[in-house]
Amino acid sequence: MLRHVFQRLLMTVPVMFGVLLIGFLLMQVVPTDPAIVRAGPTASAELVQEIRRELGLDQPLYVQFGIYLWRLLQGDLGVSIINNVAVTQELGGTIGPTLELMFASLFWSIPIGIALGTIAAYWRGSVLDRFVTALSVAGGSVPVFFLGLMLIWVVGFQWQWLPFTGRGGPLWTVEGWQSIALPALTLGGVFIAPVARMTRTAVLEVLGAEHVRTARAKGLTERAVVLHHALRNALIPVVTLIGLQIGFLLGGAVVTETVFSWPGVGRLAVGAILSSDFPMAQGTIIVLSLGFILVNLVVDVLYVALDPRMRGG
Amino acid sequence: MKKTLGAALLSLAATVPVADALAQAAPRDTLVVLREYDADRYDPARSTARSAGEVIYMMSDTLVSLDFDQKTLKPGLAESWTVSEDGKLYTFKLRRDVTFCDGKKMTAADVVYSINRWVAPETRSPVKWRAGPIKEVRATDDYTVEYELTEPFGELLYQLSLFFASIVDKDTVEKLGANFGVQGFNGTGPYCWQSWTPRQDLVLTKHPNYNWGPPVYQNRSPQIGKVIWRIIPEANTRLAALQTGQGDITQYIPPFAVAQLQRVPTVKVSTQPNYFWDFFLGFKVDKPVVSDPVIRQAVNMAVNRDALVKAVFFGAADPADAYVNPNTLGYDAEAAKLMPQFDLEAAKKLLDEAGWKPGADGIREKDGQRASFNVYGIQSAEWRRMTEAMQADLRRVGIDLRIQLWDATVAWGKLATQEFDSFVMSYPYISATDGFALYFDGANRPTPNRMNWNDEATNKLLATAKTALSAEERAKAIAEVQQIATRNNVWFPIAREKLYVAAAQRVEGARAHGIYGAGLYKGLDLRLTR
Repeated sequence: MLRHVFQRLLMTVPVMFGVLLIGFLLMQVVPTDPAIVRAGPTASAELVQEIRRELGLDQPLYVQFGIYLWRLLQGDLGVSIINNVAVTQELGGTIGPTLELMFASLFWSIPIGIALGTIAAYWRGSVLDRFVTALSVAGGSVPVFFLGLMLIWVVGFQWQWLPFTGRGGPLWTVEGWQSIALPALTLGGVFIAPVARMTRTAVLEVLGAEHVRTARAKGLTERAVVLHHALRNALIPVVTLIGLQIGFLLGGAVVTETVFSWPGVGRLAVGAILSSDFPMAQGTIIVLSLGFILVNLVVDVLYVALDPRMRGG
Repeated sequence: MKKTLGAALLSLAATVPVADALAQAAPRDTLVVLREYDADRYDPARSTARSAGEVIYMMSDTLVSLDFDQKTLKPGLAESWTVSEDGKLYTFKLRRDVTFCDGKKMTAADVVYSINRWVAPETRSPVKWRAGPIKEVRATDDYTVEYELTEPFGELLYQLSLFFASIVDKDTVEKLGANFGVQGFNGTGPYCWQSWTPRQDLVLTKHPNYNWGPPVYQNRSPQIGKVIWRIIPEANTRLAALQTGQGDITQYIPPFAVAQLQRVPTVKVSTQPNYFWDFFLGFKVDKPVVSDPVIRQAVNMAVNRDALVKAVFFGAADPADAYVNPNTLGYDAEAAKLMPQFDLEAAKKLLDEAGWKPGADGIREKDGQRASFNVYGIQSAEWRRMTEAMQADLRRVGIDLRIQLWDATVAWGKLATQEFDSFVMSYPYISATDGFALYFDGANRPTPNRMNWNDEATNKLLATAKTALSAEERAKAIAEVQQIATRNNVWFPIAREKLYVAAAQRVEGARAHGIYGAGLYKGLDLRLTR
């Protein structure tokens, strides 16, 4: 098991290098001159040139990338070229809120997704099944920003039940819980559909398996058969899917955080990219990529934990 | 199974609290100002953005202040001032009761330091020209400042009312270095810096000693304990927040929402007729096609400005029937009369007579050259619609406008090149001379004079408009500049943005100001009723 985890960790090194390289090159492809951004629209050409030199932007690309990597190895992500704040400092303040949002979204959407999928599979072909399937299709089709705006409009604006601008406090406070509710409902809302669909398919498959028939033949209750024998075995592909979807959830968080002014990494990434703040944008790319890689690593480990057959391999 | 489903539904229900318990009004005695974007920093000498200026006005003061008419200068940190006969020496008598937020007394030395810092080469202020041709700024005693120029600069007092000329504390600047305005600030304004989370919140607290506010307000001291400047980039979220009490006041209202907001009983909208922020299209006059004055005149005649502005701004802007706002200091009504009127047939006739004949595809040609030119600008819904409307109108007279809008991060770089034939942009100004001296002076090519307009008469007149001793002479010179620009159709003026400030029900005393785009200025009359 440990060897497996170690191997997977080693594999993340070239992946991260690729991410860093692509992230760096993408920033170069953008035809923006950060020096002009910093100097302002009325600045003279001399001033722009001076700032470019100061930022090291007059160096060849490979030199810039080399310097960037060297600093990165020392834990230095540089400073924002917009406001001079250390990238690590600003990132540090945003990772927590993003993790909170992810946690809150998954907290309610995974149980509901699994429950809906199981119900649909158990009563296959019924009205309930069709309803859940329709709900899944609708949930999978609704863009995150639209769901967010609708929730703001109905719950926040018309009913005035919940706030929708920013983070009220840590998750364990009343203000924090209130302020995270709508963003979490939004982000989790689009997560339910794929989980429900995958659970339905997996449970259906397992319900027809021999060990389930055996369990029934032994006289176990339907509850025990479904929960302990069918659902547990069906969870392996569901966990894989959840892992993959969490990656996409990070993408959804970018939109959700912008719509709800949630002070997370996603919103920081949008702000950094829009303001051509290269170091900050690269910092957010690193964090989001690292998040994606870590989630996949955890899924791999969970996969092995859930399916003892994998341990041998 | 039923229990599982029930538990899931309960967990969902737990996120939906009861309505009454969760009214989301901002805390009492805290004003939440909603805005669209943050500034890069809050250093008056280094920041040029409106989003920086609107906060700096609250955190610091200038020697003189500007009334709501945007013309009348009033005392600020200087309670009086005199100008020498040769117009080169300004003597400011400072108030003696002013302190910085840290309690330190403000003296003439701080004024000298702040102005010198603004114009110092190492500060690299992109707007240091606004300080005028300084010879020396000196303190003759603790409360007297002499501001000596190498030549007269009639605009000086107006320029000194802008936030770039804010007086800051030397010790704090030197202590924070490059992080001044990022990690802290120490000014003499009605509110003091408490904290800044970039792209999120900037928190100011009441300056307890402050009672030297400009006499343009009923109150000379702040009426609110805390001001939070909160960034909400998404327009719908921002407006919904204002209406539900999650924010108190904003000037960042998309044009389509102004009329709707004015009908909302819980929102009070104030406006400012003396708001100088204009949209225009400028021609790079040394580029093929647009170098022909006939083409520029035809463009001015062929675009239905009124219809365009109505369609794009929904009444939240006025059609620009002159190069500057009629309420601006130095506005020339005669120049406005020279503006070509919308007349499609006359535009066609003009082009015909000049030899621009329709080609096979309807686009005119002359000497083998097509009447086709590109326009660069910043990508936004408004600019997209405006340029498309212009494109459609110009097509009717046989002129092809090729639109190339760039993302805001790219646009300023692109607008500094010589790649384009014309460009669109918007800008704030405080007087006709302020705007024209920046954009029409030949010395300012290629940026900010992006038209490459280099006319000897214009340059001389602009020099006169800036340096002449008599107000009449200055007014005459800037009037002539306006006439030259209008006669040559260097621009196609498009729209004059209106300033709206929308305030929630609990906010009293909200009155739009608009100096350099800042809707609230010092905000001294703002108070909260609950």
